[in-house]
Amino acid sequence: MMRRADGPTGGWAAFTTLAVVVLSVSPSARLPAQDSQFGIQGLGTPGKQESVRARSAGGAFAPFDAFSPLMDAALADIRRLSAGVTNGTSWRDIPSPDSGEVTLRTTRFPALVLAGPILPRLTVGGGFATYLDRSYGITTTDTLIIRGSPEVVTDQIKNDGGVTDVRVAAGFRLGRRLAVGAGIHLLTGSSRIVATRRFSDSSDYRTSTSRDEVAYEGMGTSFSALLDLGRDLRVAGWYRTDSKLRADLNGRTVAENDLPVSFGGGVLWSPGAQVVMAGSVAWRTWSTAGAGVNAHDTFNWSFGAEIGSVNSPFRVGARGGQLPFGLDGAPTEIGYSAGLGRQFAAGRGRIDIGVERLQRKGTGLTEPVWTLLLGVTVRP
Amino acid sequence: MRRVVGGLLVAAAGIGAWTGCTEQIIAPGDCPDFCPNGQIVLHDTIFTTIIERDSAYRGYVQAYQSDAASAAVVPGVESRPFFKLDPMPPRVRSVPGSATDTSTVPIFADSSRLRVTITSKDTSATNLHLKFYALPLTVDTVSTFADLDPYFSGPALDSVNVSDLRSRPLIGDTATVRIWGDTIQTDSAGHVLIVRSDSAFVIFTSLDTLKAPFNPADSGRLAFGVRVAADSAVSIALGTNESVNSGPVMEWFYHYTPKDSVNAKSDSSLRAPSFDTFAFDPPSAPLDSNLTVGGVPSARSLIRVNIPPFLHDSIDVVRATVVLVPVAPVPGVASDSFRILVRAVLADLGAKSPLALEPSGLAVVHVGSTDTLRIEITDLVRAWTVFDTTAATAFFLGQLPEATSFTEIRFYSSRAPAFRPALHVTYIKRFPFGQP
Repeated sequence: MMRRADGPTGGWAAFTTLAVVVLSVSPSARLPAQDSQFGIQGLGTPGKQESVRARSAGGAFAPFDAFSPLMDAALADIRRLSAGVTNGTSWRDIPSPDSGEVTLRTTRFPALVLAGPILPRLTVGGGFATYLDRSYGITTTDTLIIRGSPEVVTDQIKNDGGVTDVRVAAGFRLGRRLAVGAGIHLLTGSSRIVATRRFSDSSDYRTSTSRDEVAYEGMGTSFSALLDLGRDLRVAGWYRTDSKLRADLNGRTVAENDLPVSFGGGVLWSPGAQVVMAGSVAWRTWSTAGAGVNAHDTFNWSFGAEIGSVNSPFRVGARGGQLPFGLDGAPTEIGYSAGLGRQFAAGRGRIDIGVERLQRKGTGLTEPVWTLLLGVTVRP
Repeated sequence: MRRVVGGLLVAAAGIGAWTGCTEQIIAPGDCPDFCPNGQIVLHDTIFTTIIERDSAYRGYVQAYQSDAASAAVVPGVESRPFFKLDPMPPRVRSVPGSATDTSTVPIFADSSRLRVTITSKDTSATNLHLKFYALPLTVDTVSTFADLDPYFSGPALDSVNVSDLRSRPLIGDTATVRIWGDTIQTDSAGHVLIVRSDSAFVIFTSLDTLKAPFNPADSGRLAFGVRVAADSAVSIALGTNESVNSGPVMEWFYHYTPKDSVNAKSDSSLRAPSFDTFAFDPPSAPLDSNLTVGGVPSARSLIRVNIPPFLHDSIDVVRATVVLVPVAPVPGVASDSFRILVRAVLADLGAKSPLALEPSGLAVVHVGSTDTLRIEITDLVRAWTVFDTTAATAFFLGQLPEATSFTEIRFYSSRAPAFRPALHVTYIKRFPFGQP
């Protein structure tokens, strides 16, 4: 399927190198992926562990894509040192009692994968991905009776941070048809929280601001396998279990929540040289996180296709399923996505773009999200 | 097609770079469904027993140290300012300006003009009079009302009807302004009133040598007392020498005959008071178990606050008010008022504790009112609970300005359980960080 790249390569290579450097250095401050109001009362919003290529196709290619940090076995397909980074900017509409609707914008780096073979059949890789996004800001206005007089107060609670999945994994090709993988996941991260109350009568009442930083910690392991059932058909299966997520405040554990067992699978079919289709499903037992966070088990599906040459394919996909945190049952999520890819420098670099439209719906809230995705992959 | 794809990729990269620079994550909260479980919780508590070991002390500022002197006639109290002028040399150089001839010749006073300034007015007073009396040169800063009262029983040297002066037309011709420096109002007796830019009334009264005799044996020293009168109770304040530009001043007009001359030469000289003060009857009552603020010599009250540990640890004070219950209404004219100032104690050494320069709270006390006084001291309590938990948790209550009037207020102290001072604190408990 691989073809020689067309056109000039020097400029693209330089651009790619620069892009990778910029995108790889920047994530330290803004790692998490897109947020959701549904995650505020829960542990957060689970990240989509997908590259731009996979996500542009609804996420269906994630089990088979080595640059999507979902399955470790896919690393076995990487035959030279490679790196891929994903960048996403989301616009999210939230109902507002005052102005009707508020558009929120966030820019995140949801995934980075770096991998390379160390033995002919063994590829080792790692990177990070968003596990839970906990970035949100809430403002509320209320009137309180203080000292016998009505006082208008405005509260703002801003939480900036999340939980990152730092992965060390290996993919091993057992034979021509079968590849297996395993990974260890260190869940780490923090949230900077600032709670502010302002009073309309600022001459008598002082603004109150509290701030602190909560650190998160957890562990996980994952196992996966890829099996080629024929020249055009590939299936994938994965399993992952995570420990408890511990929240520490100044060295003291203030919360501990069980994390889910996750498992899923997918099918990839290449009916022709210019068409690849895939579908995938995933289950996660988020309800173990506890009733206190309104957690629910989730099931997610996705379907997508990649059409065109390897050099510049067009992708389209759809996804659906549930979000783990919400009142009166799991909120649902349905999404459509599309994207383009461009391979250059004799296949040593690739830029992918994508656009995704998500519609999340739960009790009391419908949340539309537009996301613009940009991914860079290099194979120096 | 390749160009289209390439263009899209570059455009996407540009949009990504642009949007990456800004972020908007704050939205109106739809609570409680889509808000954090942890909320900002506000508490409002009146701490009735945390003020303790409170005391009052007197003697900080004496009447002669204050920057105003009370002149008042109110039911039960009368206050009279008085002052003694600096000496006036009875001789001058016989050759003015000569560096070699140091001989002197006597001066002969022709008249004088006394200037006093009303710095605090009683706008409700009608037919307000200032009456000037001659006092013996034996007066000093410790002279009492009773000591001086006999000198006020005779006829006044001069009397100025201030209300009448204020009703006179403004004279602003060039000659007048050149002489007086401002527009004036004057009456038939030659009294002059100038309204200063700070609204103070500057009053000039001319005194002949019978009213203000120049006695070389006394070096021209004179002492005057001032009494105020009006159709009803009245309370005003005269500026003193401590206020820099509002104290009483006597201008002597005199003549002398220079050496080798047959013609007399006229001149004038200004004399400020060597002291100015006031006396009132009855004098300030001795301190008791209550918290006294004001009076003369000035009294201040020290209030110590025993901050509970939980206020130190886990809260943010958004408002703090000290609550004080007056024992009785402040005597005086109903339209009068004064201010109570809160100043933090830097180190608790009792009556002589050093105080912060900046006030921590301020309240106005209206004469005659028995309302509970509430003084906002939010920043002070925040400093105790958040910024410096080792700071002395005490403050002084003082009058502003101090020792300018007989007015004082007494609050119930912690010795009166039913009316003891309290601290009303509105605070926010620490936000429950870490909870989902």
